Formats: sequence, C-alpha cells, structure tokens
Amino acid sequence: MIVAEQKPLSEIKTLIGSAEKVLVVGCGTCVTVCFAGGAREAAIVAASLRMSTKLDGNGKQVSDVTVQRQCEWEYLDQIGDQLKEVDVVLSLGCGIGVQAIAERFPDTWVVPGLNTAFLGLPTEQGVWDERCAACGDCILGLTGGICPIARCSKSLLNGPCGGSENGHCEINPEVPCAWQLIYDRLSKMGKLEVLMDIQPPKNWRTARDGGPRKIVREDLRLPAEEE
Amino acid sequence: MPGDCHYLEGNANAKRRIEHIRALLGQIGLEPDRVRMYNLSSAMASQFVAITQEMAENIRTLGKNPLRNHNAPISKLESGK
Repeated sequence: MIVAEQKPLSEIKTLIGSAEKVLVVGCGTCVTVCFAGGAREAAIVAASLRMSTKLDGNGKQVSDVTVQRQCEWEYLDQIGDQLKEVDVVLSLGCGIGVQAIAERFPDTWVVPGLNTAFLGLPTEQGVWDERCAACGDCILGLTGGICPIARCSKSLLNGPCGGSENGHCEINPEVPCAWQLIYDRLSKMGKLEVLMDIQPPKNWRTARDGGPRKIVREDLRLPAEEE
Repeated sequence: MPGDCHYLEGNANAKRRIEHIRALLGQIGLEPDRVRMYNLSSAMASQFVAITQEMAENIRTLGKNPLRNHNAPISKLESGK
C-alpha cells in the first residue's frame, strides 16, 4: 500500500490560508488502512479545523467527504458538485489523489493534508515499513523476495557493504541489513548459489532517473473515435 | 488497574489513545489537560471521589470550554453548527 501520515494541523491551517469554505476529502483505499486519510481521519481533521479556527477567531466552514479512491476520475466525479462549492479542498489522499483532483477539476484549489511516505506494509499494528521503491525493473527474483533497492540504504545490487554489522545497517542499529536478510533467506532455502552471479549495474531509466513514467496497454485502450 | 484490566490490555490501549487525544487537543489550541485518564477499580470509592474533585477543580481553573455556546440547549451543541 501507499503509506502516508498526516501533516501537523498548523501546517494544514497555513495551507488553507484565508479560505472560508473548506472540504476535507478522504480516500477509502491505501490511506484508510494506514489510518492517515480515511473517512474517520477526514472527520477528525474537519472537526479539528472547525474548532481550531473558531478559537483563532475566524471560524471556517469545514465539511468532509470520503471517496473510494481519489486516484480515479470516476470516484472523484461523484463529488464534483461539492468541490465547486468550496474555496479550498484539503485532500487526505496520497500525492496522486491531490494531483488527480487538481487535474480533473482545473478550477479547484487543492492542498495536501498528508505527507506521502513510501510503499510498504504494516509489520505490526501501528508500524509500517518500506518494501518497494517502484524502480520499474523488479529484481526480487534474484534476491529471495527481499528488495535491496528499497531496503538496503545504498540500494546495492551486490551486497552487503562494510557497514553491515551484526545483521544491521550502519545508518541505524534498528535497521536490518537487507543483504543479511537476503543471505539468511537464501541460505535457509538452500539457494545460496544465486548469490554467485555478480549483478551488473542496474538500468535506472525505468526508475525516477528516467523522468516521469507511463504505461500504455494497447489491449486495454478504447478504440479511437473515427472522424 | 494497569496490568489488571477486566478487558486484558484495554486500559493500556486507552492510555495510548488518551495521549493521542491530548496531543490533538493541543494542536487544536485547547488545553490537553481537559482530558485526563485515571486508573481505578470498582472498589476504590474514596479515590474516585478524590479524583472527581481534582478533575472538577482542574476544569474550574482552565475555565469553560471556549468552543461551547453555553446558552444553547444540549441538542444544538454540535461543533460548527
């Protein structure tokens, strides 16, 4: 899932600025299950803003609504009328949700209420860890299902480095060394020979280094309208 | 009591959630001390009285909730309306 966390209320108030009517828009997918921007959080943020701005002496009209997914037009279109009635939209979606609203509703001013953090999973209740860097050229098949791009601090393809100590990374003794994890898993599964192949430098053009990415599936596209 | 909750870890969970609420109140601009958590068993009547008096005195010191319309009937007290 996409993991995010809420911005401080003070920053949200700065982003809202002098707007009088505010609509907090939650998202029912990733940020709901990481407790950052679902229906419950949208209601809490809206109530917090109502109370806080009233205490400041300029009480704002703040309402909230949550859509199933902010990253798809069809769900955003369902709240199109509500978006037109407010001065600013506070999106509790990830960065994709904020941009989807801005793109779909060009006349709507939208600001982010979350900091989008990473792609990860809950490793225990209340704890989320990064697992994928969306590099665009998955190598998990070479590393026993443990990603050194996301989980090694240096994103090494042939690790570990000299900073691996007692199974942990030199950046923080609480961070496991991804290459130790990879070695241990391959060893346990009797597949250490996988590590005998030296991996060549990675082609980073599929990652962010190649600029904004795009996927086109011709088999799924709708036929172009004939003139 | 801590470690001896009828709902097992219920009061430990409640303690963390109360801390979250207190932080939220602080961000909003209200005094976090408007919410406190005390641990009591049903056999601690005298402590309950003492804590109630302590909390009442605490609220008197903090003053009325500035967000509440103190003349409005209870049914109209929903925030923002």
